[in-house]
Amino acid sequence: MTGTENNPYDVIVCGAGHAGCEAALAAARMGMRTLLISGNIDTIAKMSCNPSIGGQAKGHIVREIDALGGEMAVNTDTTAIQFRMLNESKGPAVQAPRAQCDKKAYQLRMKHTLELQPGLHLFQAIVSRLIYGTGCVRGVGTSIGAEFYAKTVIVTTGTFLRGLMHIGKNKTEGGRSGDFSAQTLSSSLKDAGIALDRLKTGTPARLLGSTIDFAVMEEQPGDAQPLLFAFYDTRGLPDDVFHVEQSPAMAAAERLLFHVEQGRGMRRPGWLPGMEQLSCWMTHTNARTREIIIENLHCSALYGGEIQGVGPRYCPSIEDKMVRFANHERHRLFLEPEGRGTDEWYVNGLSTSMPFDVQQKILHSVPGLENALMMRPAYAVEYDFAQPTQIHSWLETRQVEGLFFAGQINGTSGYEEAAGQGLVAGINAALKVRGEPHWVPARHESYIGVLIDDLVTKGTQEPYRMFTSRAEHRLLLNHNSAELRLGPHAARLGLLTPARAAAVLRKKAAVEDWSARFEQLAAPGGKLGDHIRKGGGLDAAPAEFLALSESAREEVLYRVRYRGYIDRELRHVSKLAGVERVSIPDTFDYATVPGLRNESRQKLIRHRPENLAQASRISGVSPADISLLIVALASRNT
Amino acid sequence: MYFDGDSIAAPATPAAESALAIIRVSGPLCKELSAVFSGKMSIEPRKAFYGAYRSLDGVLQDCCVFIPYPQGSSYTGESMLEICCHGNPIIVRSILDDLFRRGCRAAEPGEFTRRAFLNGRMDLTQAEAVQDLIAARSRASIDAAQRQLDGSVGRAVNSLLERLLNVIAYAEAYIDFPEEDLPPEDKDGPIAQLVSLQSDAKRLMATAPYSALLREGARTVIAGLPNAGKSSLLNALLGEERAIVSAEPGTTRDYIEERLIVGRHLLRIVDTAGLREGGGEIEDKGIEKSRQLIAHADIVILVIDGTAPPPCQELPVSLRELSARGLVIVAINKCDLPQEKPFDELLPGARLIRLSAITGEGLPELRDAVCDIIDSRYKAPGQDDVLVCARHAEALANMSDSIAQALDKMRRGEAAELAASDLRDALGSLEQIVGRVDSERVLDLVFSKFCIGK
Ligand SMILES: Nc1nc2c(ncn2[C@@H]2O[C@H](COP(=O)(O)OP(=O)(O)OP(=O)(O)O)[C@@H](O)[C@H]2O)c(=O)[nH]1
Ligand SMILES: [Mg+2]
Repeated sequence: MTGTENNPYDVIVCGAGHAGCEAALAAARMGMRTLLISGNIDTIAKMSCNPSIGGQAKGHIVREIDALGGEMAVNTDTTAIQFRMLNESKGPAVQAPRAQCDKKAYQLRMKHTLELQPGLHLFQAIVSRLIYGTGCVRGVGTSIGAEFYAKTVIVTTGTFLRGLMHIGKNKTEGGRSGDFSAQTLSSSLKDAGIALDRLKTGTPARLLGSTIDFAVMEEQPGDAQPLLFAFYDTRGLPDDVFHVEQSPAMAAAERLLFHVEQGRGMRRPGWLPGMEQLSCWMTHTNARTREIIIENLHCSALYGGEIQGVGPRYCPSIEDKMVRFANHERHRLFLEPEGRGTDEWYVNGLSTSMPFDVQQKILHSVPGLENALMMRPAYAVEYDFAQPTQIHSWLETRQVEGLFFAGQINGTSGYEEAAGQGLVAGINAALKVRGEPHWVPARHESYIGVLIDDLVTKGTQEPYRMFTSRAEHRLLLNHNSAELRLGPHAARLGLLTPARAAAVLRKKAAVEDWSARFEQLAAPGGKLGDHIRKGGGLDAAPAEFLALSESAREEVLYRVRYRGYIDRELRHVSKLAGVERVSIPDTFDYATVPGLRNESRQKLIRHRPENLAQASRISGVSPADISLLIVALASRNT
Repeated sequence: MYFDGDSIAAPATPAAESALAIIRVSGPLCKELSAVFSGKMSIEPRKAFYGAYRSLDGVLQDCCVFIPYPQGSSYTGESMLEICCHGNPIIVRSILDDLFRRGCRAAEPGEFTRRAFLNGRMDLTQAEAVQDLIAARSRASIDAAQRQLDGSVGRAVNSLLERLLNVIAYAEAYIDFPEEDLPPEDKDGPIAQLVSLQSDAKRLMATAPYSALLREGARTVIAGLPNAGKSSLLNALLGEERAIVSAEPGTTRDYIEERLIVGRHLLRIVDTAGLREGGGEIEDKGIEKSRQLIAHADIVILVIDGTAPPPCQELPVSLRELSARGLVIVAINKCDLPQEKPFDELLPGARLIRLSAITGEGLPELRDAVCDIIDSRYKAPGQDDVLVCARHAEALANMSDSIAQALDKMRRGEAAELAASDLRDALGSLEQIVGRVDSERVLDLVFSKFCIGK
């Protein structure tokens, strides 16, 4: 039997949210014997908050996950009910796909994917503690008394660590409405010397669609020609797991039926993801909403002093918005469908920790929601997280060997940020078991790299969400290039099937080749590259080019069009390459570096950068400090 | 190999009077520079050559010894060029200024060592030997920089930073939050803000020469015909017998430099050999040197013997140019003796002062005139307390360049993230002065200005 002291698993993943699923799948796909433990396997990959995946910067991450052989992109494509490309008015680097998903279908498909994955064992139990060896982790203990041993353990517990939900003054223990909270795991982590802190997040109310007056709202339909998240050119749509499908004939009978096609390879002829999309609807708060909120501020958990955790600046509760932006007459709200087989609607923009009765008053003041019936109230949730400066960039904790953290436990927010980390944790747990060096994507090759580097070098004071402005090499990170940036790594790590790996390398070679050839081929008034940069069309492009996949063509055009900027970014990157290479040992004593300013010394001690590049990104650390470090490091390596 | 792309330059010897000064340059530009100064396309590595250092505008700065080092076998591991010039801080500064104009940038403290280390060119003993040195030097420069940043310069630069961050935050809000209910994007406001940023940066940059003058002293050259009383004047100003004085024309053959405080200004005052032709080989060399010193002077005091007829020989062209810019004082010496006729038309634009190096008459007026020239000709108007050093000026110039590029794209309506990338470069230039700026500061501004969030 696997999981005993003598025959441990390679990897145990605690928690089957968005981080846990990717971690377990990546490990298992890399050949690890993997156990995924969840307190409730009916809530696998649950979208606890909004029903959407992707969006600005997050959509980029989802495409990167696909490039690394992860599941989130495919799972979204095959269960989505609306697709939209954001920022179409801006350049390609900052355009991002977003989708609304059928929440239930999303969960079910992910669960089924886990079930079908060879080497992966899915098991329901609440992890109550970690089992430690000397300086390392050896397994987990569960609430049913059973112990499971493993060489590595990945903790992806989301908001469940001492989760506490607030609705006004009312407090309930739990990581999510209707769920338990992990009370004892926190103290087990503290036993190992890991410091925990509190963060706060929240989710708005859910309403019954038939009681909403959509007629007074503005419709926001999906894109007619949706761009999918996964790079299918090399694969074709997956046939192994079901997808959500609705036949055109049934479309007339609005939301009457949703159709789940189970079986492998079964598909209604002519069906493609993105057909028969559902719309979102837009409304707004008004002066009456404002009055109600201001009158009742003292009842809010946030303003009433009930909540200690720090909430995110970018996701303020409605009471926050009213207080901080007092001069705004109205705030926009979106009604988003939670799925095809349900009439539950999510009210985007109305997060609150007000008591139930005030919440109702607030809702009923909004145009179109005068008679809306609430199905679930809004609530705020506080939970433990570990300041991520305590982990290495490969997501292993500094205190305990073999113990990895991914997702909200590291202070992030968002399904996509969690999934990206889960994937990297799964990869590195597998590499550790194999005895191979760890791997982390770099800042200039992925948003996942920016995310992790920011976390481990700077820590976070609020739930960390990705924005494109966090990436200094944003122009290199257009979503369409994700497969070329990360695919070769994924191929080397064994995350892709051999066929896909080969196809990725072919695509990369073709894109590079054509980008160069555009500068040599003749076109009206010069070379084809110049012609394109002057806004010219593809009339002069050879037929072979036009025969490439759309993604490859787009990427070639992007590289040609933005050649100057991309080259400049690459020069910036190569400047840093030297310092990136020089690592700073964990045991390095900054007190022994002469001439270092006190302020820099304190910051370096606190952040413990892994290499000089990280050190140079710490705010206030000067080039002179870096020079001193270089010499100190050189003289240390005797 | 570690390759930074930039070429860096810095003096390798301390900034004080010495027989010889060495300026080191490291980076890809070195090859081109070696070719320029040697006049040959291919040069023998590690073999010193003698040559004239002429700045980009063709002016001779000094005669130097150049030692080129090829990539792979230099101190830093990159192509390098060592320039040995006279140990005069004025010359060192002119050469550095010229190198910056040629595309080098000022090296950060310890940057040569950093490159050497990263290229695997430094063994342990070397590393340890330079460690203390760098620590001491960078300490000093950090302290100096810190002192500046605490003061008025810091306030001025931080205000630029604040304003730049605001423009960046505004642009980023519209890039990162396409789904939010933001007010319609204002295109003209940010453009106007950037333009005003640019002009303020320019104003700050313009203080750099004056600031250098204050820090390093104004190069004040005493020139004139032999026997006019130049050495006597130097002695009178110094209040000691520093230079040899004699009735024999051509007494001073090599120049003498001294520091002198006049009013609130530091002068590097130089006594030179008298300007005349055909005085023998050694004297000719001295005279050639005098011409060079005049060409690089901040101020020239042209001493004229008031008892002799006006000089009939040609004055150096550079002296006429300086005079036209109001930088020359004509000191009509020996006013204790009966005078020849007036010298008014001698040099258009020059101020005339009658004085006597022996009795001291007219010296206070001379001192006042020198101070007045420094303040009126070198100080940027309205910037009494804010003065930036050359390194800051360089960073500000780079910032302005990046802003200019951003403005260009904004005006042409190109994709917003492209201008944003220029603005990020502009921020990077300011970071050279204020240190790393956390990207959170941009987000802070976004969230404080706009109501964002679900
Ligand atoms: N009466 C009088 N004699 C002066 C005055 N200034 C200089 N002399 C005399 O003029 C002669 C030349 O003076 P220097 O100071 O050696 O002249 P110089 O310009 O340095 O001459 P060179 O170094 O030979 O070019 C000396 O004999 C001085 O004593 C002055 O103001 N009044
Ligand atoms: Mg003399």
